[in-house]
Amino acid sequence: MDTMFVAPQAEDDVSLLDILDHVLNAGVVLHGNIIISVAGVDLVYVGLNVILTSIETALRHIHQLPPDSRRG
Amino acid sequence: MKPGQTSVLYLYGISEGQVPPPSLAGVDGTATIEAVPCSGLVCWISRVAASDFAENLARNMENLDWLAEVGVRHQRAVAAVAELCDVLPARFGTVFISENTLAADVRSRKPTLLADLQRIRGAEEWGVKIFRTASPKPVLADAPRSGGEYLKAKAELLRERPPKTSDAELERFAAAAKAVTVDVAPGGSVSGAQPGLLWHASFLVQRSSRKKFQQLVEKFSREWQPQRRVECTGPWPPYSFVSRATRQATEGR
Repeated sequence: MDTMFVAPQAEDDVSLLDILDHVLNAGVVLHGNIIISVAGVDLVYVGLNVILTSIETALRHIHQLPPDSRRG
Repeated sequence: MKPGQTSVLYLYGISEGQVPPPSLAGVDGTATIEAVPCSGLVCWISRVAASDFAENLARNMENLDWLAEVGVRHQRAVAAVAELCDVLPARFGTVFISENTLAADVRSRKPTLLADLQRIRGAEEWGVKIFRTASPKPVLADAPRSGGEYLKAKAELLRERPPKTSDAELERFAAAAKAVTVDVAPGGSVSGAQPGLLWHASFLVQRSSRKKFQQLVEKFSREWQPQRRVECTGPWPPYSFVSRATRQATEGR
């Protein structure tokens, strides 16, 4: 086969990397900051810092790189 | 979600029209996806446990097994909605405490959301990765006379060799792809470190141009054999084509 066409639903490691690429890197970010919740008060959670940290972690695990090899 | 737990709204995406939701479980594998009218738009959500998706989200995301499982469910949910209507995908882990906070936030950035919805109308995303094909296994030329010589020779063999085709080839592909697509965005960083990856991008393709786009990818793939291998994934919801303004409106806060 000339080209490898892969549907996002395919269940393999390559597909998982692609899924994480899409769902973590892109998409609408409605609130960019983590707001600590206070009981009973309407707040929005979640933020980019969390996501960026997770990508770093994911990269290190997936590619099994030493912690600082991707910097600089 | 167990009864009595505090729930939050997990957002999958935003669309313009109201259509019946897909019968599919959301990120927690239990609660189904709902379409909630929201400041004149429609927000696609499911109600999930605050403990997993709000209070402990950061910690959960450090757990790769959790991240993988929930990430895949997020993608499935957004893809299911994208089959029903044009939807602006939300980033993983966007959670609101109530319909009110969600509506307020959507209202505050409605003009940008509308512009984005206009741009992705009738289109889907395709990812293209171009890999350098592993060259045939080289052999040691002469029998090494010492251990040091052997290691030196081995290191020489393992050294990365530049690809045979030049970057002009990649530019030629990018230019040809531009003619059949709406937009292009750089690929993400998670899979960006795959071995042998030379080039990586996402294209916004009108559904009516899907065939043309695939034919183009196949044409280049044939021409590049055997030095390069092309991998094409899709159709994706248009994750990579949410405008920077929408993505970054609150990032600097």
